[in-house]
Amino acid sequence: MVSTVAVPESPTLLAAAVALPLALLLAGAAPRLGARMLGLLWAAPLPALAASLLAVGGEARSEPLLLGMALALDPVGATLLGPVALLWSAAGAYAGAYLRGKPHGERFAAFWLLTQAGSLGVFLAADLASFYLAFALASLAAYGLVVHEETPRARRAARIYLILAVLGETCLLLGFMVAATAADSLLIRDAAAALPGSPWRDLALALLVAGFGLKAGLVPLHVWLPLAHPAAPTPASAVLSGAIIKAGVIGLIRFLPPEAAPAGWGLALVWIGFGTAFYGVAAGVTQEHPKTVLAYSSLSQMGVIAAVLGMGLATAGGVGGAALPAAFYAAHHALAKGAMFLAVGVAAATGARRLLPVLVVTAVLAIGLGGLPLTGGALAKLAVKEPLGGGAAGTLASLSAAATTLLMLHFLRRLAVGGGSAAAPDAAPPAGIVLPWLMAAAAAVLVPWGIYLTAGGGGLAGALSPAALWEAGWPVLAGSGLALGLWWRAGRLPSVPEGDLVVIGEGATRALARWRPPLRAPRLAASGQRLAAEAVRALAGMEGVLRAWPTAGLSLLVVAILFGMVLVAGR
Amino acid sequence: MPWVVMAVALPFAGMLLALPLGRHAHRLAWAVLPSGLAVSVLLVVQVWRGGETVAYAIGGFAPPLGIALRADGLSALLVLTTALVVCATGLFALAEFRPPSAEREARASVLFWPLLFALWGALNAAFLGGDLFNLYVALELLTLAAVPLVSLEGKPETFAAALRYLLFALLGSVLYLVGVALLYGAYGTLDIALLAGAARSEPAAWAAGALMTAGLLAKTALFPLHLWLPPAHAGAPAAASAVLSGLVVKASFYLLVRLWFDALPAVAHPEAATLLAALGTAAILFGSVLALRQERLKLAVAYSTMAQLGYLFLMFPLTGGPTEAQPWSAGAWNGGILHAISHAFAKSAMFLAAGLILEAVGHDRIAGLGGIGRALPMTVFAFGLAGLSLMGLPPSGGFIAKWLLVTTALASGQWWWAVPMLAGGLLAAGYVFRVLNPALAGADEPVALRRPVPRRRQAIPLVLALLSVLLGLLPLGPYRLLWVGRPTAAEEGLG
Repeated sequence: MVSTVAVPESPTLLAAAVALPLALLLAGAAPRLGARMLGLLWAAPLPALAASLLAVGGEARSEPLLLGMALALDPVGATLLGPVALLWSAAGAYAGAYLRGKPHGERFAAFWLLTQAGSLGVFLAADLASFYLAFALASLAAYGLVVHEETPRARRAARIYLILAVLGETCLLLGFMVAATAADSLLIRDAAAALPGSPWRDLALALLVAGFGLKAGLVPLHVWLPLAHPAAPTPASAVLSGAIIKAGVIGLIRFLPPEAAPAGWGLALVWIGFGTAFYGVAAGVTQEHPKTVLAYSSLSQMGVIAAVLGMGLATAGGVGGAALPAAFYAAHHALAKGAMFLAVGVAAATGARRLLPVLVVTAVLAIGLGGLPLTGGALAKLAVKEPLGGGAAGTLASLSAAATTLLMLHFLRRLAVGGGSAAAPDAAPPAGIVLPWLMAAAAAVLVPWGIYLTAGGGGLAGALSPAALWEAGWPVLAGSGLALGLWWRAGRLPSVPEGDLVVIGEGATRALARWRPPLRAPRLAASGQRLAAEAVRALAGMEGVLRAWPTAGLSLLVVAILFGMVLVAGR
Repeated sequence: MPWVVMAVALPFAGMLLALPLGRHAHRLAWAVLPSGLAVSVLLVVQVWRGGETVAYAIGGFAPPLGIALRADGLSALLVLTTALVVCATGLFALAEFRPPSAEREARASVLFWPLLFALWGALNAAFLGGDLFNLYVALELLTLAAVPLVSLEGKPETFAAALRYLLFALLGSVLYLVGVALLYGAYGTLDIALLAGAARSEPAAWAAGALMTAGLLAKTALFPLHLWLPPAHAGAPAAASAVLSGLVVKASFYLLVRLWFDALPAVAHPEAATLLAALGTAAILFGSVLALRQERLKLAVAYSTMAQLGYLFLMFPLTGGPTEAQPWSAGAWNGGILHAISHAFAKSAMFLAAGLILEAVGHDRIAGLGGIGRALPMTVFAFGLAGLSLMGLPPSGGFIAKWLLVTTALASGQWWWAVPMLAGGLLAAGYVFRVLNPALAGADEPVALRRPVPRRRQAIPLVLALLSVLLGLLPLGPYRLLWVGRPTAAEEGLG
């Protein structure tokens, strides 16, 4: 799938894609505009959408800024940028209605716009510093979205999210620096190409996979995701799961070696990917809350993408050929998952008697994620067929589609149970949230077709042949069968707490804390916490000693003598 | 015009005028601050245009007989940084140190201005001085102006802090002076340029190098010689803390750079550079962890200064030493100096912001600052922006500095120096977040402001914080300015 469309060059539009959210943010600082900003959120991503629709190419370079900033849009970037921008716009309109009249709307709008600028920027950045800036912006500002409701649950989720995000940033920074040193260039394409030749290439690749994998939710770095995505207000959950985790996907696509990848990394990524795909489903079916089910499904889908990229590395020696299919798969996921999160909010505001239409629309999206023929999901599965190949990986992908169908049917069931809880049985959801949701839902079906038929260069015949329909259809049937079996035995499943591993970590910390009585350590997801606390206390004690006059005088003397000795010895 | 001389003379003239003006000294600020800033800008333009070191022999006597002032790219940039921070702080202090109504004691308001001008003059003298004895005088003046600023408010605990500072700074001065005497005895000159040619690797130079280094480290408060810094910087009034933490400790660091790279290049060995960087590493880790533990905002900021000073000393091994120009030297040099400058802006912004919070709330206990973000949005935003630079996140001067230093460490094969820098960034994220998180939360009972803070005053730390961020977005010009007058012309290595 290579784009053959001639691209008009418009660097200004590329810059505007990132600049408009920031400009709105600045405008929001003015006291009178601040309150209106929530109503304008839908407009912020429009330049990005336009850039992607026009398939704008070219590079916007600003040599002197930030070590030399460069923005560029290639077919892979455009494939992701458009759907992600569309989701941001729909969710922005939804947020405008959803949060109207609720407290802290301005703060939410500010963090929303900041996160959005970063989330759109990662698809456009062509140099390391801009990419890092955009990535950090998307990661750190999203903290404000997760913590927004300030419930204990949101605070805990946000704290764990932030700690892991900052660790991920540090991994990435070091990885970028190794790559930049190897390439002696700050352009991402040079850095990715030069990485296999670096003496520290395995370390750098490990850091990059860890940093991006953390963002995309690859097991075992996924722990923050099932906590953070459901804790945020519904429109924020939609962009967190739909748009923001795609920063990890584009990161893997951009930074994994385009060719001459060192052996072993491809297969490792395939293992991690499929492990995540099945783990996400297994943990997801035990969940009660529909948003948590969706969050687990998100990490499962990111696992499939990682496996696709891993197969690219393993079979073709580079991520090059797998990049566009993976981006296409991720683009469909952005719209479908975003629309499903929005549906959770719509269903909650709908009375029991009007729930059926909401469920039907959502079902098309949900089963579409499993590959329901004729939906965008079927096209996404078709696109990744080639890089996955016909062997074990292809079979595993089909099985994961069946598993996804199972998970999505579970989601629909939870939605039906949890929805319709609005006070009046015939309450109608407000149009302000229904229209954006319907738009996102329609886009999730139509946009993949649009991309497939134009830029993707695919034909109708290929997608509608009986073989293709069967290929997409059997996992859905199998998944439905599994779901029936599951419901038949319902109630016997163990329940996995949200955030699985992190909870085990917290439990272990608590157990350790109980085991040795007097401990006031804050609850953090690390069993080394106690040791760290003691080390810190020891440091503080040392500080007391160092700051006493006799020690300070002695230190001065020792420093002088040490330097004297070193200078004599260095002659 | 000899802007080099003006840059030193003008603040001192301001100090002399301010003393007799007494209660009206604050009016002088409106003349001295802008003209001093203008002179600094003109000096930078002169060095930039000329492309070479601007030297001025006072009275026309050339060294070794006379005294020379020299401005190369590095000193011109530091003079400009100083002018910007001093002007912002001065504007900030106008509201605080204005003679009050008759009954309040006026000492602080009367003394602040001559001390600030003296501090400014001494800083410029330190950045522009061309011989080691002049630099000694500048350092002493700096100490004598800085110490009273610490105890300006006259509280007992600030007197104790000031005394600590004074005694330790004097110890440092003595060590430095003994080193100067040794050098004069051995080579008959103290002019930096002449010394560079004359000094050889021999016992007198070793002893002088060791003593002067130890003395300057004591004044820079590098770990483990930091005993005086936290109480002094945390106890001083906000405007004083800003210049003390942002600028004063950088002057002794700058002297160390001059000593190692320009005056005694033959003596400075890689092993000694490693020792400096090891102390810097310890400072980063130790200072950051302690900053995380502080319960008071100003103390946390002061410990963060201790940590951030540590980064500067990683520059010594990363440049590959003064004598051997390496392809990567430029990166380390630029990164180190950029770190010093962006920290000057960020830290002064942080202290001014902390001062506003203290003034508005009446205390600076971090635990009691929940919801302050809604009461003082601009101030908390300034604090956060400055924190961005300390964490080394883009776009900020701190990010570019860290990027340059870490890529240099990787390119020169000294990867181990990258570890403390990245760890320091993580810890900085911790202590900044610890303040910002409750500040931005919608607390159940938001803090009550004792008195409102006008937006005009809140804007000053914000401007300083924006400067530290803009350094990361600045065109690469200043990096070229840094190379004006460097003996080793390494123009490459950015990135």
